Amino acid sequence: MNSYPTELLAQLAPVMFVAGLNPPKSPAPQPVTPTTPSTPRAQDSFTPLITRLRTTLSAVRQVSIWQSEKTKTFQIVLVDKDVRFPPRKLHPPDDYPDQTPRSPLSPLTPSSPLYPDGLVAPVWIRKHTSFVPSVFVLFLHLFEFPPHTPRSPLDLPDQDRERQREAEERRQDSELAAEIAQRKKATNERTIKLTVVLLASRRMLDDTALDSRLTYIRRQSGLDSRASLFVLSPVSQSELNEFVQSLQQALYEPAVDYYTSHSKRVRRKRNRHTHGNSISYPTPPVSSVPVPRPLRPEGWTVRYEYKMACFAEFRGEDEVALKHYQDAYSALLLMFASITTLPPRTKRWAEAKVLADSIDIKICKLYLYNNEHSLALSFHNTHIRKFCDFSRIWGAGENTFEFWSWMARQQRVMAELLEHGMRSTLVLPVHRPSLLETPVTMPSQQSDALTSLGVNPAHALQHPAFYYYTAARYTEKRREMFTAALELEARGAVAKLSPGFANEKKVDHFSLVVEMYTRSYELFKQRVPSGTSQHNLGRLIFHVAYLIAQTYYASEQFDMAIKFFERIAKTYRKEQWDVMLRPLLSIWYSCAQQTGNMELSVQLLLEMLGHGSITDDAEHLEETLYGVLNSTVPSSQDPLVVELLNFQSIFRIWTHFWETEVYVGQPATFQLTISMPEDISLSSLSFASVSVYFSDDTSTPLVIHHSDDAPDSEKKVRRVALGNVSQYLFDAGGAAEGEANTIQAYLRWGSGVSITFMGTLQLEVPGTLKLAKVVLTVKHNSWWIELPIKLNELQNYGDRTLETPQWLTSVDPPRHLPVKLGDCTTATVRSRPHQLHVLISHSGPAYLDEEYPITIKITNADENVLDVTFDVILHPPEDDSSANRIILEDEESTSLIRGVRFGVLEPGAETVKTLYLLNTGAIGDRTLDVSIRSQSITQRPSSPVPRTPGSAGLQDVNETLQTLVVPTAQAIRVTSHVTYQRPLQPQPGLADLRMYGNDFWEDSVSGEATITSVFRCVASCGLKLESIQFESQEHTMARLIDCSLDNIEPEDTADDWLTGDEFTTICRVTVSQPEGSKSNIPTPGVYVVRWRRLLPDGEPGTLSTTKFALPPLNPPSDDLVALLDLPSTGRLHVPMVMRLTVRNSDSSRTAVVTVHLEPDPSDGFVVAGLRSGRIPMLLPETEATLCWKLIPVECGFARVPKIKVIDRRKAIVPPGQEPPDPPPEPGSDAEGDIVKLVDVRWDGRTGGGEEARATGDIGSILILPQ
Amino acid sequence: MPALVYLNAVAFVSSQNHPILVRTFGQERENNRDIRYHYIAHTSLDVFEERITANPKNTESYLGLLYTMDDVAVYGYITASKTKIILALSLSDTVVKDAEVVNLMKAFHTAYRSAVANPFLRLHAPADAVSDHANSLQVGGAKWKNFRRAIDDIAASTGAISAPPPPPKN
Repeated sequence: MNSYPTELLAQLAPVMFVAGLNPPKSPAPQPVTPTTPSTPRAQDSFTPLITRLRTTLSAVRQVSIWQSEKTKTFQIVLVDKDVRFPPRKLHPPDDYPDQTPRSPLSPLTPSSPLYPDGLVAPVWIRKHTSFVPSVFVLFLHLFEFPPHTPRSPLDLPDQDRERQREAEERRQDSELAAEIAQRKKATNERTIKLTVVLLASRRMLDDTALDSRLTYIRRQSGLDSRASLFVLSPVSQSELNEFVQSLQQALYEPAVDYYTSHSKRVRRKRNRHTHGNSISYPTPPVSSVPVPRPLRPEGWTVRYEYKMACFAEFRGEDEVALKHYQDAYSALLLMFASITTLPPRTKRWAEAKVLADSIDIKICKLYLYNNEHSLALSFHNTHIRKFCDFSRIWGAGENTFEFWSWMARQQRVMAELLEHGMRSTLVLPVHRPSLLETPVTMPSQQSDALTSLGVNPAHALQHPAFYYYTAARYTEKRREMFTAALELEARGAVAKLSPGFANEKKVDHFSLVVEMYTRSYELFKQRVPSGTSQHNLGRLIFHVAYLIAQTYYASEQFDMAIKFFERIAKTYRKEQWDVMLRPLLSIWYSCAQQTGNMELSVQLLLEMLGHGSITDDAEHLEETLYGVLNSTVPSSQDPLVVELLNFQSIFRIWTHFWETEVYVGQPATFQLTISMPEDISLSSLSFASVSVYFSDDTSTPLVIHHSDDAPDSEKKVRRVALGNVSQYLFDAGGAAEGEANTIQAYLRWGSGVSITFMGTLQLEVPGTLKLAKVVLTVKHNSWWIELPIKLNELQNYGDRTLETPQWLTSVDPPRHLPVKLGDCTTATVRSRPHQLHVLISHSGPAYLDEEYPITIKITNADENVLDVTFDVILHPPEDDSSANRIILEDEESTSLIRGVRFGVLEPGAETVKTLYLLNTGAIGDRTLDVSIRSQSITQRPSSPVPRTPGSAGLQDVNETLQTLVVPTAQAIRVTSHVTYQRPLQPQPGLADLRMYGNDFWEDSVSGEATITSVFRCVASCGLKLESIQFESQEHTMARLIDCSLDNIEPEDTADDWLTGDEFTTICRVTVSQPEGSKSNIPTPGVYVVRWRRLLPDGEPGTLSTTKFALPPLNPPSDDLVALLDLPSTGRLHVPMVMRLTVRNSDSSRTAVVTVHLEPDPSDGFVVAGLRSGRIPMLLPETEATLCWKLIPVECGFARVPKIKVIDRRKAIVPPGQEPPDPPPEPGSDAEGDIVKLVDVRWDGRTGGGEEARATGDIGSILILPQ
Repeated sequence: MPALVYLNAVAFVSSQNHPILVRTFGQERENNRDIRYHYIAHTSLDVFEERITANPKNTESYLGLLYTMDDVAVYGYITASKTKIILALSLSDTVVKDAEVVNLMKAFHTAYRSAVANPFLRLHAPADAVSDHANSLQVGGAKWKNFRRAIDDIAASTGAISAPPPPPKN
């Protein structure tokens, strides 16, 4: 921005002159006049007010480039009271009497700086911003007659004094009015609005005469009626601010009018000019002396448009201003297009260029005010492009420094403009793809169809840092061109050097470049949004920093460059951008060389070697390194420690263990391979030793020294046997050092050489074996370089994980074995497992209700004394009915018994414990988890190992887990069979009072149940039965009548049962089921079986008791049934009774029953009784009994005469209905239902009502001879 | 029809911001200006992180124009596995359609995916190595030509690497 006059760039605002606020001259003697005795005092009281006013007014607006707010503010200039405006028009000198008066700045005025063909000078703007206001505010003191304080309240108003006061006031006011009128005259000339502010005391404000005085003053001075006279008394700061604010508000409109009238005037002139073309333009005579030529019409257009633009800007009309600026700009371009109009490299040409650039900035700014970023950038780009083209015509093309200087300036100006804007109201757009664009918050005009699909990247406004960056790049080019020009000059070529060459020589290009890069760097730094760490977002910064460093290098400030490189390289290394690191390192190395920092040089050379595998100068690097080591000495005697992050590219290092798990005391074999890629060679570098650290940095390393005489020196693949190096595992002080064991090897790495160090390690406690660090030591002349390589970081580098470690199996010929599995860089050392034999035995299956013994036998086969404890977990049963328990000694649980001690077992000792499992419920498998923990309590031989607390090595604990599945079965299986007999006793009558007694047992409906139970021994081992008993239980609906075990002593049932043995019991139960009850009736009792398992040795086991419940009773019901009661035997010719009971068990229906006896000649009986007849109607729950006398006439099994019982209920025709026609045959089905005839001798039904014997099947009677 | 965008280079950067491959096309390759696009790819990572931080819930891969620097417009694309694809287009005074860039990005992404899926990348890897990162880094290595070839094919098929027009002058 400094490249251009501020006037041309600053945002214009209406100008207000404020006069009459001269700072008080404190020591200056006040002219004391007797006539105005009050003046000094009044002045005194106004001094603070004036000072405050001055501060407030000058703070209203600062001149700045970016000011997009449109508040009605003025650019306030404090001036002297009698300031004079510059002359408006100059009268033409006497020798041009015909010319009209012109502005002193006009190109037509010979004394003007623009004479004769200048365009617009900054001085013109300065005229309007500093010398000519749009409004003029004059601060004046209002005369105040000293107040009269009456001596006493009784004093009358002093008439004389009043008169004197009035006269004085009138006189003073007239003077004041005259002064104002004079000023008014000056301002009127320029149509400047004059406003007078009268300073008066507070007292004065209340004076009744004030109004008339003010009117007088205004009239006298000829002030306008509107907003031209104010009175201000000393007020507080906030009121003062308000006053200044309202003053501006009131005067803004006249100010705008002022500029509008200017615009109109200029527009008139422009129109006249375009149409009139009054001035003739003679073609310039061809001569070497430039003859002043008048300004061409294009130039006038530029002038007029520019002026109108400025006036519009004064008025705050940005859009109008933009349009005029653009017109001015295009007119200017027309001028540039012709060499004759604007010959290059003249003063006017340079001025016009500055004008064009500044108009460009103004236009960009006005676009940006309106958030039209792409339009702004588009205009700026076009501007640059146009002037690039012009530059070629002017002979200042891309190969001149002028061109690049100008280009850089354009970028820089853009950056600065954006910076100004961002400090104020400008918000940079984010170029998100429009596909994702959320509703645009910014009012922008980029909503047309084209831009919604994408953006023109050239018009995408970016952060100012980018423009600074570009400016710096261009400045670099400028320097390049300048250097080329210098060379040209040095060669004495009489090239046509541009006039600016001498000036260019004075320019410090480097500091310019650095300045702009630094600006860019700082802006990028600020750009990092809060909340993200600087570290993550430093790449842009580092790139710029790299360029700065390059510039420092080029300007030979090597120390500065080195500082930058150090920081940048860190990130590049971390993110493995090797390609970028390479040029960085070589410049860095050059810096180090230049500064004579040999240590750094060596360090960088080593790092470059690593990257050298990609570049082609690896050999050269090695030579350079060798040369440096040979020819220089280090600055100190201490070893130079070079920590290379990229050592992987120089050395390929592998460590691996053959076995990743070893036992305590067992050696673990490892290999450490250090190899060199084919394209790098360090054979000239004399490595003195290789130190291997096994645990941490403090431990004593194993050192392998170089020896030229070591074997295998010529081989490419070498192996160095280290032996057992366990003593280096821990820092045992002198223990390791004391070893006079020095291992020697040929430590030279030519290209492709691989040296494998192979040894064993062992630990006496559990832990982890690994190789921590390798330090390669180079001793060359006085150089002592150490290259530490941390082995645990190996894995993190690059594509390392995709390579399989190779185990060297044979040196000659070299053979490798890929180690494919697992992380073999460490080996875990574990305790040996305890030799504990656990034998869990049981002779399955287990039976329900049995305490099933499981023996656990533990034998200590270890050489240590072991303390053994024991946990058992019983898994929960699969079904809810089972309830299982485990019992071990005095502990009993349904799920877990823990911490049972087996005690301390000496080596070879054994111990047995029996665990009992008690199963009930369902059969099936029971699962037990047995965990046996053993802890070694043998005192170890004292080890040099420092014991770390909490490590696994302290508690040498082993755990053996076994899962036990115990099948569970039944020992005795019971099958029960129930039959129900109908009751035979007569049913109680309806009115039988006994029925209502509490102890009445109504078995006449349900009858009796006979339960037959068969106990079958299903246990494969056989059982010893101790006893079997029936335990009766009282029940309201069932009562035991008798049981087959009733008369047997329990002891008498004791017996040995083998598999398949059965034992049967019968019991009878009388059932009294209330009517309508359908539920099952539990049996009144259980069988209790006490038994023992017969162990394999024939001995009985523990006593187990199993209870077997009998099946529930569910007696079937009848509706209408005929029961035939017959004796089983009879004697020949002895009469016997056959009784038929027809029972109507139905609870609601009446039965109409007919009975037919159908004797047959083959019957062995003579029957006396009813042959065929109807039984009286059977009401519900009643019965009728018929009797026949039978006299057997034959011996043997005699059949009973056939009896048919028919329920005729269906055949009865209710009254009012026609009987069926023809009437059914007597005895046929249609006549009625045949009633079930049951021979009670065989009566028996299952729970489902199934008869034991088919209905109607009447058994025979055995007739015995007499 | 000549392509509207002129592709100078494409860069693939791994999820841990390590370079996978930086491939230049056309004149840029002839002029051996690879390093420049390394710088561009590296610096654009800043803008990636800036955009992601500003809008963490964004699931869109295409991030649009990242910045323009010198004569190159840089576009970004981030895959679900946080692999970044960076396109450097020659800056010309035309509107670059997002859809066009997205198509290119998707084609490059597909090429990358199929290259990474090559089982032979892990031929010498230890059996239990699970690092996909190393896998993806290796894809760009000199050993594996298919990926480069695929990228060149994509670039050629879009017609975007025909010699870029001389920078617009008027």
